[in-house]
Amino acid sequence: MNPRTDMINRLNIKTYETMKNLLLTCTLFAFVMIAVPQADAQTPAPKQSEPIALVGGTIHTLAGDVIENGTILFEDGKITAIGSNVNIPSGTRQQNVSGKHIYPGLIDSYSQMGITEIGAVNMTSDVNEQGIINPNVLAERAFHPASRHIPIARSAGILTVITTPGGGLISGQSSAMKTDGWAWDEMTLKSSTGLIVNWPFPSRSDYEDNIQTLRDAFADARSYMKARQAMRSGQAQRHDTDSRWEAMIPVFEGNVPVVVSANEVRQIQDAITWAEEEGVRLIILGGSDAHLVTDHLRSKNIPVIITSVQTSSNRDWESYDARYSLPAKLHEAGVTFAIAGGSSAAYAHRLPYEAGTAAAFGLDADTALRSLTTYPAAILGLDDYVGTLEVGKDASLLITTGNPIEYSTQIEQVYVQGRESDMMDAHRQFYELYREKLDQRNAER
Amino acid sequence: MVQSLSLTNFINPEPHTDSMNHTYDSLKNLHSSVLRWLLLPLLLLALPAWGVAQTTPIDGMKDNTPNVHAFTNATIVTAPGETVRNATLVIRNGVVEAVGRRVTPPADARVWDMEGKTIYPGFIDPYTDLGMNDPRVELDRGNVSWNPNLRAHLKAEQEFDNENDGSDDLRKQGFTAALTLPPLGIFKGEAAVMSLKDGLSADRVVQSGVAQGATFSRFREFGFTYPTSAIGVIAFIRQTLYDADWYERAHQAYMNDRSLERPESNAPLAALRNAANGEQPLLFETGSDEEILRVRRLANEFNITPWILGNGHEYKLLDVLRDGGMPLILPLNFADKPDVDTPENALGEDLADLRHWYLSPENPGRVADAGIQFSLTTKGLDNKSSFLPNLRKAIKLGLNKETALAALTTNPANLLGISSTHGSIESGKSASFIIADGDLFEDGSKIIDLWVDGDHYRINHENAMNPRGVWEIASNDGSIDGTLKIEENRPGRLSGTMTISGSEVDLASVSYEDLPRRIRAHFAGSEAGFEGPVRLTASLDGDNLRGWAEVSGRERVQFSATRTSTLPAAENGDSSKELNRDVQLADLRPAMEYGRESIPEQPQNVFVRNATIWTMGAQGIMENADMIVSNGEIVEVGQNLRAPRNAVIIDAEGKHVTPGLIDAHLHSGVDGVNEVGNAITAEVRMGDVLNINNIWMYRQLAGGLTTAHVMHGSANPIGGQNVHVKMRWGALSDDLMIEDAPRTVKFALGENPKRVGSDRYPETRMGTEQIIEDRFRMARDYEARWNEWNETGQGIPPRKDLRLDALLDILNGEILIMSHSYRQDEILMLMRLAERFDFKIHAFHHGVEAYKVAPELAEHGAGAVVWSDWSSFKIEAYDGTLYNARLLKEAGVLTSLHSDNSQIASRMNWEAAKMVRAGMDPEDALSLVTSDTAKILGIEDSVGSLESGKDADFVIWNGDPLSTLTKAEQTWIDGRKYFDLDEDADLQRAVERERDQLIRLIVEE
Repeated sequence: MNPRTDMINRLNIKTYETMKNLLLTCTLFAFVMIAVPQADAQTPAPKQSEPIALVGGTIHTLAGDVIENGTILFEDGKITAIGSNVNIPSGTRQQNVSGKHIYPGLIDSYSQMGITEIGAVNMTSDVNEQGIINPNVLAERAFHPASRHIPIARSAGILTVITTPGGGLISGQSSAMKTDGWAWDEMTLKSSTGLIVNWPFPSRSDYEDNIQTLRDAFADARSYMKARQAMRSGQAQRHDTDSRWEAMIPVFEGNVPVVVSANEVRQIQDAITWAEEEGVRLIILGGSDAHLVTDHLRSKNIPVIITSVQTSSNRDWESYDARYSLPAKLHEAGVTFAIAGGSSAAYAHRLPYEAGTAAAFGLDADTALRSLTTYPAAILGLDDYVGTLEVGKDASLLITTGNPIEYSTQIEQVYVQGRESDMMDAHRQFYELYREKLDQRNAER
Repeated sequence: MVQSLSLTNFINPEPHTDSMNHTYDSLKNLHSSVLRWLLLPLLLLALPAWGVAQTTPIDGMKDNTPNVHAFTNATIVTAPGETVRNATLVIRNGVVEAVGRRVTPPADARVWDMEGKTIYPGFIDPYTDLGMNDPRVELDRGNVSWNPNLRAHLKAEQEFDNENDGSDDLRKQGFTAALTLPPLGIFKGEAAVMSLKDGLSADRVVQSGVAQGATFSRFREFGFTYPTSAIGVIAFIRQTLYDADWYERAHQAYMNDRSLERPESNAPLAALRNAANGEQPLLFETGSDEEILRVRRLANEFNITPWILGNGHEYKLLDVLRDGGMPLILPLNFADKPDVDTPENALGEDLADLRHWYLSPENPGRVADAGIQFSLTTKGLDNKSSFLPNLRKAIKLGLNKETALAALTTNPANLLGISSTHGSIESGKSASFIIADGDLFEDGSKIIDLWVDGDHYRINHENAMNPRGVWEIASNDGSIDGTLKIEENRPGRLSGTMTISGSEVDLASVSYEDLPRRIRAHFAGSEAGFEGPVRLTASLDGDNLRGWAEVSGRERVQFSATRTSTLPAAENGDSSKELNRDVQLADLRPAMEYGRESIPEQPQNVFVRNATIWTMGAQGIMENADMIVSNGEIVEVGQNLRAPRNAVIIDAEGKHVTPGLIDAHLHSGVDGVNEVGNAITAEVRMGDVLNINNIWMYRQLAGGLTTAHVMHGSANPIGGQNVHVKMRWGALSDDLMIEDAPRTVKFALGENPKRVGSDRYPETRMGTEQIIEDRFRMARDYEARWNEWNETGQGIPPRKDLRLDALLDILNGEILIMSHSYRQDEILMLMRLAERFDFKIHAFHHGVEAYKVAPELAEHGAGAVVWSDWSSFKIEAYDGTLYNARLLKEAGVLTSLHSDNSQIASRMNWEAAKMVRAGMDPEDALSLVTSDTAKILGIEDSVGSLESGKDADFVIWNGDPLSTLTKAEQTWIDGRKYFDLDEDADLQRAVERERDQLIRLIVEE
């Protein structure tokens, strides 16, 4: 063993045995020390190669009644049959799941998964682009498939994450990402699920200036669109491409909603007023005060993605459970909503418990589960693929011991578009590695 | 008038002394500022020339204006509750010669007719920063302390700068003397009573060395010098009081034996001696209700004589202040109106602030009603001119006038030790008094004159004549003959009409200057047959006017006028506005949303029936079980128990009962968490800065939390001492601590302690190890020094060092180490270090990589206090895992969960529930927030399980406490129900109602 590889091995880095020169070794050493102390990327699963039937489980399709002792059949990543009496073609791999429950995969409708790794290490973050108007940046293009947090989320049942850029006034565009795959292209379920706007803070003196800047950006983008149309139809001279305004055309065409981060009641209402005038489709992200303006939200049919339930009001006078009960209040008032995680990639696995808390405080458990599945799928335009278990939709599903929002529930296996995913993750892997240490020490004693 | 800075006191015509009239008269003719500057030194010396008790030589002409005055026909309030009508007051050379009904003005007196006037003793302000405009920040000469916060040797009268000293603003409110003290530092220096007359500082000292000033504040001026925090300040006060005592003994030892090592010379410590041994009062400036309690706790610990400058929140502490022992000085700093300008802004105003806005003007009255004596001060007012209006408001809201006067005269005079000269109008006392045009404590009255040590200050001019009435004008050419009518609509605002040949014209402006007795008016002449404006100016002499008019387009007209009838003066409008006091606010503790009127009752017996009881003890989880609680303790848990007599019975069928949850690591409910002024701060104590005004305590109760270990922050390799508290919402901070809990101290390893400041050691994990080890060695050396002294009594007595005392207690196992840590290497490092010193680390907190050294932790005997699943927020947290607690427990490490976060602390059952997902048995999972937590915190004898003899701290849940669908219904501590879901709904409605009423009041105002 040469001295270089010896050094590497001592540092528990197993994969660099063929390193050619010392300079390169040192460079990688510095990098690897920060990013990957242990090999912790799980192996992405191969595409589904044969039909699979899960037989005998309780199937929660969320598109109809619960099917007891049912079968779900899927092929090439799509569900081909569900029911209590399904014909299973020959060549189908059958798995007995009796006593288990089958649910659609969960959707984290607000996340920084894949674009941030370690909060306090700036170089691991690709969330905030420079400047305040960045409609053209796309989350999926920076999605780091080897992030340690992806398998952690996946083994907790999160099969779709909406990776969302941040910062500035127009942050960029979010993307719906699958939590299994080798690279961002195959992991992208849907690009451009929303144009992210951070609504300015009303308590600041530059509130109106910032709204003006936002209005100007939309007006400029519209005039760009008009000029380019005129150019194309030969009615006007050439207009050069503007990447920023080009990226906003799908918003004006109604293909991409505007997701506005707004928590305070003023922000929510002012965003609604603005979106109405702009004629764009609005989704409120955050929505802490949404319960104060439910009529306004409902009358304009504006959905709310609640970004945190397991939290408290920042107003002392509001009830201790003000935020726990926000989903129930919106549900009761007929406002469409989804429950999302708190954005940090490392904690996506807590998403089911955000909905669970809503269930403890007034929401029924079924609706709580829908706020992680069918509701976000509908709000974000993913309902052709995910959100329910129906024929023709993706075979993205969970095999569990119970309702995923319950702490005691174990997620035993997940399928992402029919791929049978590796259920190992860094949390579990660290456990097993250091359980080995413990066993060795116990044996030595 | 141009005022050149240094001359202000002499040339400002308004508050001048009679004795200075010559000076003033001669000066006001000087228009050359150059000449003024030349004269300056002469004036400074000329000022006190009439006095007999001065050493200053006289330059220029000696001023021998007689200083003998008699005030006749006056209503004289000689002292609170003592009023003499039709009385005469005689003063001579600054001293009261006689006062009373039968007093005859002496033959040599200037007589002032005081018909209609009321005379009060001059007010005394017992807390000001008079003359401290530009205080010295750096004390870089002489034998001063290393710490700029210790400046006890400064003497107010020597730091006093009489230029723009602020006396003028105080005089306008009726003050004639004031205590002043240097403003900077924690030990500020000695306070002195100064006369509020103008002149040399030396002539104004009434009493020096009255008290030593102290505060809990920190000063921007001193940068990051220790102490930087509320905890550090109190530790600094403690250490300094010990140092003052040591300093004296050390010097005595040295005086007795000059062969000893010479102790340092330290003027501030020497000056602090009398305050440290209680002979001199220690006057604490406080900024909150909690700071008052902190003074009280210090007074219980040290032999000091505390005086308190209050802060407006005293009405929240009447039960405490009634105990007495701490003279109280109250400000009139009523709360600013909360911002409810828009409905959205109103959402942001908490009930605590809305209540305080409503109640703070009642503060003086409430304190008085509680039988607590106090003095009043202008301190805390942004603008001193709001003092009298605020005082009147306090009187309208219940403060008795006599009490108010006492709080401004006799009380401060007694407190400050100047009652032989000040505080009342008596023969032989200082001629310092107020002349008002009526009842000074009622709206509309004014201070006309103020006399300070016999010097006369005019405060509000009272007109000698007035132009109100109907005047018949006769002019030399007859052109403006007519009737002039002048009335007063509001005090000082004149208006009127001019009628010429039948047509009446409104006067566009009317003004009157009393001293020159000049009246001016003008009207638009076009309406009365003139070309343009007509402007009148005239001299008033009784009922006659003599003047002339400028008439546009004509020659000037001369006229005279006679008053044919008079018109009344305007009523003062101030008092017309009644205060709306319709809102009834109960006294709450804490005085905020969800606060309580009293702590909950403790029923003699409580019987919980038919529950699933998680005993977290040997009895395990019992179905259909009962629990008996008596006098706050658990008597028995079991099946088919019989309810004691008169027990409060709780039918808990279908419910689960667990011990109250415990959080092993919390930072809420304290004023600050980090003392960053030194890398080693084992002397600071979190228990010193508990603050009950903390909504999280209620929210945590609502989540079933009953106990928490409130910890110092992570800025220091060796941080401060932590405190165990119970969530006794409604109690004083004094009553939150668990008394027999072990002492614990915070250590911190890894990133946090090495990134504080740019030049604070350590900056590496290597340095972190070394500084801890170095201080441990220092502590052992310190112990040896004390041992030598205790054996021999020879040499300079060692200094008591609270920091080293604490370190020694750590080494001796009397203080348990709770060490913030992330990585395995640092965890191992600290255990090995402790082993070299032959003691144990009690527990590692956070311990994100604790699982990696689980066998080593078990072997060492250290506990682990970890998060359920936090990771990746920084590089040292990257290897966090949900299985941390599980693996630790499997290795035999005593393990607990913690929140380190106020919100998470309000749902610790769900943190435990995550461990079930990680494969732990439910009972083991709950032990991480109950029984095992109690063991790690060393309080398992009283809390953490439901077993006979333990505190009745329990939670009733509406289901399995580890289910996501469950919430707490009742939370009990010491057999008292502190939270109840149904009561919470009532409280919430009450909060909404109070907010609504108060917001309405503000909007309507």
